[in-house]
Amino acid sequence: MTRLFSSVSLCAVTLALAAGSAALSVPANANDKLVEIAKSDENWPMTGKNYDANNFSPQKQINKQNVKDLKAAWSFSTGVLSGHEGTPLVVNNVMYIHSPFPNTTFAVGLDDPGRILWQHKPKQNPTARSVACCDVVNRGLAYWPGDGKTPPLILKTQLDGHIVALKADSGEEFWKLENSDIKVGSTLTIAPYVVKDTVLVGSSGAELGVRGYVTAYDVKTGAQKWRAYATGPDDQVKLADDFNKANPHYGQKGLGTQTWEGDAWKIGGGTNWGWYAFDPGTNMVYYGSGNPAPWNETMRPGDNKWTMTIWGRDIDTGEAKFGYQKTPHDEWDYAGVNVMMLSEQVDKTGKMRKLLTHPDRNGIVYSLDRTDGTLVSADKIDDTVNWVKQVDLKTGLPRRDPEFGTRMDHVGRDICPSAMGYHNQGHDSYDPERKSFFMGINHICMDWEPFMLPYRAGQFFVGATLNMYPGPKGDRQNYVGLGQVKAYDAINNKFKWEVMERFAAWGGTLATAGGVMFYGTLDGFIKARDSDTGQLLWKFKLPSGVIGHPMTYTHKGVQYVAIYYGVGGWPGVGLVFDLNDPTAGLGAVGAFKQLQHYTQQGGGVMVFSLDGKGPYEDPNVGEFASGG
Amino acid sequence: MTRYDRTRRRIAPFAAAAVAATGLFAATGALAYDGTNCRAPGNCWEPKPGFPAQVAGSKFDPKHNPAEVAKQSLSITAMEERNQKRVAYFQKTGQFVYDVSKIPSN
Repeated sequence: MTRLFSSVSLCAVTLALAAGSAALSVPANANDKLVEIAKSDENWPMTGKNYDANNFSPQKQINKQNVKDLKAAWSFSTGVLSGHEGTPLVVNNVMYIHSPFPNTTFAVGLDDPGRILWQHKPKQNPTARSVACCDVVNRGLAYWPGDGKTPPLILKTQLDGHIVALKADSGEEFWKLENSDIKVGSTLTIAPYVVKDTVLVGSSGAELGVRGYVTAYDVKTGAQKWRAYATGPDDQVKLADDFNKANPHYGQKGLGTQTWEGDAWKIGGGTNWGWYAFDPGTNMVYYGSGNPAPWNETMRPGDNKWTMTIWGRDIDTGEAKFGYQKTPHDEWDYAGVNVMMLSEQVDKTGKMRKLLTHPDRNGIVYSLDRTDGTLVSADKIDDTVNWVKQVDLKTGLPRRDPEFGTRMDHVGRDICPSAMGYHNQGHDSYDPERKSFFMGINHICMDWEPFMLPYRAGQFFVGATLNMYPGPKGDRQNYVGLGQVKAYDAINNKFKWEVMERFAAWGGTLATAGGVMFYGTLDGFIKARDSDTGQLLWKFKLPSGVIGHPMTYTHKGVQYVAIYYGVGGWPGVGLVFDLNDPTAGLGAVGAFKQLQHYTQQGGGVMVFSLDGKGPYEDPNVGEFASGG
Repeated sequence: MTRYDRTRRRIAPFAAAAVAATGLFAATGALAYDGTNCRAPGNCWEPKPGFPAQVAGSKFDPKHNPAEVAKQSLSITAMEERNQKRVAYFQKTGQFVYDVSKIPSN
């Protein structure tokens, strides 16, 4: 148990903050207010910009013609090493910045970001670090706009398993609750997600046999509204009476226990530590549950439902309206927690569809009708995917290639994708004008050898040794060519353009109406490409590698692009922990052994604008003034 | 895995011995598991050739300790109870107290 302690600078609250709080306390429910806030170019109030989670901005100030003139406007160091995933939030002239463990949160005003308005630096049990799977990352914050009685809040997670509500204007703790217990290996790395007056939070720790769940808390009080598990009895998985009514072939009742042997579902994984999306029209929240535990498939006969599942749950009741399991009986750690991007597009028959598009770790990009879970398309992210021959759109079943299955007493070789997936935790983007999904993709394959081990609560429960290396299109001699970036058309099942990267574009992408898409690379570049052609238009070398996704906002008429730097996460564990054994870090050390020659650790935010316009154009801004 | 390896797997002495010893091996006709031969909607797993339909009693039985397996649910129940006390006091008084030992009992 950790002791509540925070370091809060109350004196630094600015007029802008106060004005912001007042402006956001207008009538209307919190959900409507968040929708409105997200529409403004001045705000980026959730990790994916809006409930569609499309990381798309309609801003055009930065465009194809002038993006070459982007220059650094300002920067901010978090003072923390390790991997910086996710992206900052901007709400009403304040940027909220998060860090990996120790999970410090900062608020800085956009008029003078050199001054920290407040910081929340929790004291945590350092043991949390030892049960974190893959570096001590954190994926971000959530914002709740207040209702006049309860002040606006920032919601955060801590690696030690706590979810915390902070007053957005001061950083003072409002409430703090236990969601996950590190003593049994459960941690929190996910960004919380606010819908209406509810905050959702998942869990991490499937590599320690943690049974996954998603929990809804009342933002105003912290009261638990509902909790839904990924495995187990139907009432605990919270299946609606009409669960999978439109697609009974996906499976319906009783499978959360029937597809496991004995009590294996109690230690069966299925954690969700990725991203959420919400559709006010369906009232459903969408997310993916992750891999079954242990990785050694021989130890857990069965389809292992409902791990690896795309969920559509009613946000108010938590009941699942549909669940589609992408990788039944996973054999490769293709944890399906990846981003869910919502779009409305006309399908091939001319019918307008409400789509959910999900580039999965298993190397398939799925599009579902998000009203009922019907599978619309399932395309290989790259033609080198080999564990599956194809996904049958009628049955939803992947037709596996036994050649690339895994099992005890056997070393599986040249399996593509690797356990890192062709798409991992990156938060990608969708450009609704071009109808293009921009995807940061891994291009990594692996050898896989399982081994037996007993379950001990709080200890690693993986049971496989991995070697990873570049995919067939990379340079296997020199261990580079580990990533790709692609523009995808989900309706016509084609890629508009694709490029190779030296290392992975692990963090995701940003789409803008200016015809420019942005992303960061593990070797520390932020890059801008022509959204239509993929042509490289601009890049900048950051102090450290990137595993987060860029965002953009406007302040005082200037469009900025911001991105975290800070190499780490699973691909960077070799750098973070100074590891050399190629199988260490669950195989990541070998795959990224060249990364040390291109970047080193660091952590912070860099912010760009055309010609570097910004708060310090006037050099007197932020200078000493008596009493200031 | 090569096709030679797979063939070798099917005739491995271990497999034959295990069938005789435990009777736990599935008698499916699947030449190889491709995930499309479902016994019921959403229930399509099959044992791979030479592997058991259930691991209990086989050489792959992990023999988990039930006390270890139970720890997660016990921990979650305890966390939920502590959270309920925190929230109840917060709703009652407007003051949030994390340390449940410091929450007044009435």
